[in-house]
Amino acid sequence: MSADPVPDLPPGVDDGTLLQKPVDRREALGLLMAGLAAGAAAASACTPLNASTPEQRELKLLEWQEFTQKHYRRMTEAERAETIQRLERLAKIRHNEDATIATTDAQPGVLFGYAFNVSKCKGYRRCVEACINENNLDRHQDTQYIRIFEMENGVVNLDEADPTYQHEVPLEGHFYLGTQCFQCANPPCVPVCPVGATWQEPDGIVVIDYNWCVGCRACMAACPYWARRFNWSAPDVPPEEVNPNQHYLGNRDRKKGCVEKCTFCIHRTREGRLPACAEACPTGARVFGNLLDPDSEIRWVLAHKTVFRLKEELGTEPRFWYFSD
Amino acid sequence: MSQPRRGIALLAIGAVCLVSGCREGRTIRWDQPPAGTAVAQVDSATAARNAAMEPGALTTVQTMPVVRWKGPGGRPFEVGRRSGAPEAGYTRLFGTITLPIALRSRAASLNQYPCTSCHQGQKIVMENKRIGDAHQNIKPVHPDQTGAVCATCHSSNDVETLTLKSGERASLDESYRLCAQCHFSQADAWAGGAHGKRLDGWEGRRVVMACPDCHNPHDPSVKVLIPFRAPQLERTGGHAP
Amino acid sequence: MHIRPFLAQALRSVTSGDRTYHLWMGSLTAIMLLGGYAYIVQAEHGLIVTGMNNHVSWGLYISNMAFLVGVAAAAVILVLPAYILHDVDFSRAVLIAEGVAVSALVMCLGFVMANSPGYPWKWWRLTPVIGLLNWPDSMLAWDVIMLNGYLVLNLAIPLYILYSHYTGHEPSKKKYVPLIYVSVVWAVSIHLVTAFLFAGLPARPFWNSALLGPRFLASAFTAGPAFMILLLGFIRSHSKYDIPDVAIQKLATATTVAAQANLVMLLSEVIYEFYQPTHHSMSARYLFFGLGEHNALVPWIRTGILLNIGATFTLMIHPLRHNMRVLMAACAVLFFGIWVEKGIGLVIPGFIPSPLGEIVEYTPTWVELCVTAGIWAMGLFVLTILVRVALPIELGEARSPFLEQPPAPRATRPRAAPRQYDNVRRARSR
Repeated sequence: MSADPVPDLPPGVDDGTLLQKPVDRREALGLLMAGLAAGAAAASACTPLNASTPEQRELKLLEWQEFTQKHYRRMTEAERAETIQRLERLAKIRHNEDATIATTDAQPGVLFGYAFNVSKCKGYRRCVEACINENNLDRHQDTQYIRIFEMENGVVNLDEADPTYQHEVPLEGHFYLGTQCFQCANPPCVPVCPVGATWQEPDGIVVIDYNWCVGCRACMAACPYWARRFNWSAPDVPPEEVNPNQHYLGNRDRKKGCVEKCTFCIHRTREGRLPACAEACPTGARVFGNLLDPDSEIRWVLAHKTVFRLKEELGTEPRFWYFSD
Repeated sequence: MSQPRRGIALLAIGAVCLVSGCREGRTIRWDQPPAGTAVAQVDSATAARNAAMEPGALTTVQTMPVVRWKGPGGRPFEVGRRSGAPEAGYTRLFGTITLPIALRSRAASLNQYPCTSCHQGQKIVMENKRIGDAHQNIKPVHPDQTGAVCATCHSSNDVETLTLKSGERASLDESYRLCAQCHFSQADAWAGGAHGKRLDGWEGRRVVMACPDCHNPHDPSVKVLIPFRAPQLERTGGHAP
Repeated sequence: MHIRPFLAQALRSVTSGDRTYHLWMGSLTAIMLLGGYAYIVQAEHGLIVTGMNNHVSWGLYISNMAFLVGVAAAAVILVLPAYILHDVDFSRAVLIAEGVAVSALVMCLGFVMANSPGYPWKWWRLTPVIGLLNWPDSMLAWDVIMLNGYLVLNLAIPLYILYSHYTGHEPSKKKYVPLIYVSVVWAVSIHLVTAFLFAGLPARPFWNSALLGPRFLASAFTAGPAFMILLLGFIRSHSKYDIPDVAIQKLATATTVAAQANLVMLLSEVIYEFYQPTHHSMSARYLFFGLGEHNALVPWIRTGILLNIGATFTLMIHPLRHNMRVLMAACAVLFFGIWVEKGIGLVIPGFIPSPLGEIVEYTPTWVELCVTAGIWAMGLFVLTILVRVALPIELGEARSPFLEQPPAPRATRPRAAPRQYDNVRRARSR
């Protein structure tokens, strides 16, 4: 009795079963969709049904295809390309943005790790600012992946920490500790998803297929680090501030009602660049690199500094360490 | 009657086993790849290509190799030059906005006051640390604390050259050699990657920022700043009526 | 053969009634329409119109779901004795209990749907083969299977029995007894799985307790039978369908025992949390005492617990329990008390403070309240329909017109199936 075999497959790896399946699955999907069509018609009663202009008709079609699209990990290369094309077109129609959505796969032999220097962080929150801009985070709900906690010297207790400080920093007698998604080796958020919309990539990044997510928020309840955010409404990003450099599993346009999270800037890090937070940090408190490379900076930090992780007793094995000078 | 009962008992036991055992034996350590992922090793050609990669904006930065220090695993690394094109500074584009990534970008001030515009070819006696009206932008906090004078670091006959304790000269781009004379543990951490800052790219050429890119040599402590706006806890979801 | 008259009969039973009945159904429909409107508002704008947020990411919907799964599971307390232990006293109440289970499950599924923004057809992704059901890893996937399976079981069994009675046949034990066995195991499992949904999350120490499953069962076997006593009492006094006193008293005893067990577990939780308060007791502190100025749930939980204690002790006194009026009042109080304790007092404080110690309180908005009221109305609507359809058939008033000889009204004699069980039992003891 094992689960659906698909969730264990890395993306882009197509075994025979995956290649054979699409046809009958598509047919089955078509049948189901026919049944659902009546209901969907009722749903769209709230949106203009009389799609008169060609653009409206195109939008309707694209939205339908988006609704019925497959799970990202089950797509063939061709289907991926088709999906990307559709999403880029949808971004153009909906928000008039010229986004480029990548589907870059994980590099072999790479496992991302992060280290955070608590004695270097001065609480400037430049990482938060860069993260919001880089990842097209919802401005209306003030979605932020990163939290910086101001703590009094002598105590490491998040309950007593202040994440909402708004004064000149650093404050005398205080230190700063930042949190975000730790990309745990044993992510508690992944198994709880009823539709398998979230999974861990081979490079350790825990990602979400925003189109597959049904928005039940079980993963948000399961995360011990409060790393997941929900789109309570359709995200609102000013068109001129949209970062067009996007990834399917990362900072592309999210829908209302799906969960999102930090992906270590998957669109940057899979191209060899640093995550926006690490690059924006003015004090160099953030160290990022490949854990599988014994000569990487992150491994140097693990070997030469005294490190700790948050809530290590939970066995999540976060790939995010704290250290001090 | 016993047949269905036994069947149900088996079913129940099976269900309980599934639930209780489903996470056991699957926990992995941080240095192991996710379950079900084959550990693919990088071939040497790919490794070489990656090592020479210039991700992001790295190409726009002028660099010079670091001497006498090696990165982790004995790998050589480079330091971003300040004297070459200081006007570029170290600013980066995040999304659509540009942020300075140094705590205090000194590039602009260096450009405004090139020492040689006054001190070209002159020998300056710098035995004390008196700074005249011409140097109002310099606050000698660090020399005050350490009892240093101008000539402790600057060459007397060429202010844009540094002088080390050994008497050896070093260019402004090699400032790390000067700083490391006292701050040796920081220099080690800097070479290892725990201190300082790598410019773009976690793979490919390793280019790091030099000490004065963040620390004003005359006043190196970290300055107080207004942080980016605080998160608004009550705005992260629905609004109570 | 008899299906069309059966359906016609069902329709007749549902649509005919006195003025009070129509008023009742009319007001339920009105509330459902209001809930439907609120649901559309939430589907269009997203859950931003609710009081939930990134900190308290589950609210009234999942709270009610957790509570109602218990009510549904409690049908087993009648099914088990009636069908398996051959308790004749419960034979008349068991169909009603199954009706309660069905309507509770309808509400549960409604709340699960309401908890996700947008329209419910996006759940096609949960369908195996064309979608992806993350089973057995996801507790929510288990829960979806359990809820739907239990719904099917509790629809199929009574429907089969009713249909058999309608057509004048004795229901074939070969056909339904295996299903009964499955449904007994299933009933306990559905609530345990719902408890595991919460208990399996180390991220939330307030839920991550081995006691949560048993506590869910104890509170379920309190609230469920309490509701059934209320319903049976109502049916008894408003129809010819006679439910023996002894059945209600047996139910009352079961309720009392479960309520006592529930209080014991509450006590052990309180000791666990507060004897040596740890960092993990923050949520319990918030719930019972409040954290600083954040104390929205304190009056609720204190009231709920006082009501539970009061009702439980009332039920423990025999003369009071045997007094029908006191019993009904105590059951109503108990039902509400458990709803507060398990609905409000379990799900929401699990999120406060957040795993990183931030405190954001939760207040439901009008949209949530309307959707919740609408789903409750839908459940009561379904329950009313089921009872209305079942009663005439069970009373023998409604029989298939194709029957040559309508049997005598059933109200005057005990149902046939249990009588046969009795024979079996006697034969065995010989």
